[in-house]
Amino acid sequence: MSAGNNQVISREGTTEIHAQTAGSKAVKIILISVSVIFLFVMLVMPLITVIYEAFRKGLIPYLEAISDPDTLSALLLTLEATVIAVVINTVFGLFAAWAISKFRFRGKKLLVTLIDLPVTVSPIIAGLIFVLTFGRQSIIYPLLESIDFMVVYAVPGIILATVFVTFPFISREILPVLEAQGTDEEEAAALMGAKGFTIFRRVTLPHIKWALLYGIVLCAARAMGEFGAVSVLSGHLRGKTVTLPLQVEILFGDNKFMPAFAVSSILVVLAVVILIVRSIVEYIGKRRGEK
Amino acid sequence: MYIELKNINKSYGSFKASDNVNFGIEKGRLVALLGPSGSGKTTILRMIAGLEKPDSGEIIIDGKVVNDIPASRRGIGFVFQSYALFRYMTVFDNIAFGLKVRKLNKQVINERVTELVRLIGLEGFEKRYPSQLSGGQRQRVAFARALAPNPQVLLLDEPFAAIDAKVRQELRKWLKDMIHKLGVTGIFVTHDQDEAIEVSDEIIVTNKGRVEQSGTPIDIYRNPATAFTSAFFGVTSELKDYKAFKSFDEVDEYDKAIVRPEFVKITKKTEVQKYKSSAVEGRVETVEFRGNSIEITVSCNGSVFSARRSLDEPAVEVGEIVDVFIYRIFITHGDSVKLLKNNAIREETVVI
Repeated sequence: MSAGNNQVISREGTTEIHAQTAGSKAVKIILISVSVIFLFVMLVMPLITVIYEAFRKGLIPYLEAISDPDTLSALLLTLEATVIAVVINTVFGLFAAWAISKFRFRGKKLLVTLIDLPVTVSPIIAGLIFVLTFGRQSIIYPLLESIDFMVVYAVPGIILATVFVTFPFISREILPVLEAQGTDEEEAAALMGAKGFTIFRRVTLPHIKWALLYGIVLCAARAMGEFGAVSVLSGHLRGKTVTLPLQVEILFGDNKFMPAFAVSSILVVLAVVILIVRSIVEYIGKRRGEK
Repeated sequence: MYIELKNINKSYGSFKASDNVNFGIEKGRLVALLGPSGSGKTTILRMIAGLEKPDSGEIIIDGKVVNDIPASRRGIGFVFQSYALFRYMTVFDNIAFGLKVRKLNKQVINERVTELVRLIGLEGFEKRYPSQLSGGQRQRVAFARALAPNPQVLLLDEPFAAIDAKVRQELRKWLKDMIHKLGVTGIFVTHDQDEAIEVSDEIIVTNKGRVEQSGTPIDIYRNPATAFTSAFFGVTSELKDYKAFKSFDEVDEYDKAIVRPEFVKITKKTEVQKYKSSAVEGRVETVEFRGNSIEITVSCNGSVFSARRSLDEPAVEVGEIVDVFIYRIFITHGDSVKLLKNNAIREETVVI
């Protein structure tokens, strides 16, 4: 009698759990399919279109399009701006993150907010700010002219815009790691007589290494694709101040669709390379973390 | 005095972490800075180490004022509460760090590290990372790392806080023996009075940024100098109206009357109580087994307080009416404390 009762109870229990699983299965299918469809429409389809359009007339026209001197100079300028932006922002990001996480000072909150500014300000506005600061109507323009250093409609302007737009990326990656770590290990090292740079190299750097690499990858990706701020400062001097995204725009504007897609495909390839590098960095970082 | 603090003041904004702190420590002693959290004990430790700067006052180590000597050149070993082991270095590299910074030659470093690893009993663990060690092992590595450059002073911030009870017992004894064996002067911060009593040669009691009292553990236990110490040390309960208990002198003005379990004698009605005429009746509220004794809380004249009975004595039960006799009471008034003894005991000694 009592055994029978038990059976009923356990059977009811099973049914209930089963019903729950069925419910979550439907939710699971809906969630996954929404994500997949969204990703396909927004990301995969456009990417396929770019590649398809680029190769529509065959390989030789494609190679001709991407070996155009203007395109090559745009590629070089893009790489130049990216490398310089990454170097400057690595140094700045390390310093800022270090200062914010390790010291108490007035205006710290303000500094944190300001670092985030480039993410929130529209790149076009950022570009305009630099035009107003360094352009003909600026008070420092005569000074810049006297030393023959042009910012607006010149390469320095493009680099400046790229640095501005990408500077939160590295400090934002390092900051949480440094803050979680606290200052105990550095203090311990200092008490044993280690100097600032030794402490940084032996204690702090091993800790933030992976976050730093990840930040550099993100920064590089963003720097290559920057359009808005660079567009305002560039002046579109072909072969001189045109980066890859601008070159795409110019070609597109001239109704040269196939070459525009061909140049776009270079950017796509660079983005994919960066994504792969990112995944590798993340994977190695995680494995180290587990150990 | 080997380490001396003179009129030290330190504030963080409006919070006074150190309020005119003065004390001296003799060479080779192991001293506990004991106080509740927020009483400024860690601040004192960090100032001695040079990790914080006092707003005013002098810190003297071995006859020299060290206020302007940076932490790295004070020759002090420091064990952090979190141990702060370098997590990307092996046990060996952690211990060797302070020696490598000094650019000693490789063989000297190897010998010293090997010696320390043997001292802390972690032979064979040299190549492990801190995350692969237990709490007790990490603590010992932190200890060895602090000792590696041969410091004259070793400071420890809550060294046993993160270790489970059983290992803590072993480590306390180990640390005490080790520090005495090496002859360094040690100061450790703790909020645990048992730990302070067990490990230290001397205790400095801190409260609200001030030093309340310093002395040997037994001295502080027996003769608390301030109201705070009398209530903080030992297991204490407060009597609502001490005058209701018989044969105590009357004190006109007082804030609190404090008793510890060892001040209270509880006897069953059937047992002989020498001072029966001075005892009052109370009701047993709880009876708890404490391993080596029975702890009893008793309500009596409107107060509830605890007492102990030996395991050999006949058991008392909850609700039982018992005789309660109090030997001594601490009476506090403002900052001061006075010990009142039961006159019944005194009268008897006079008669004899």
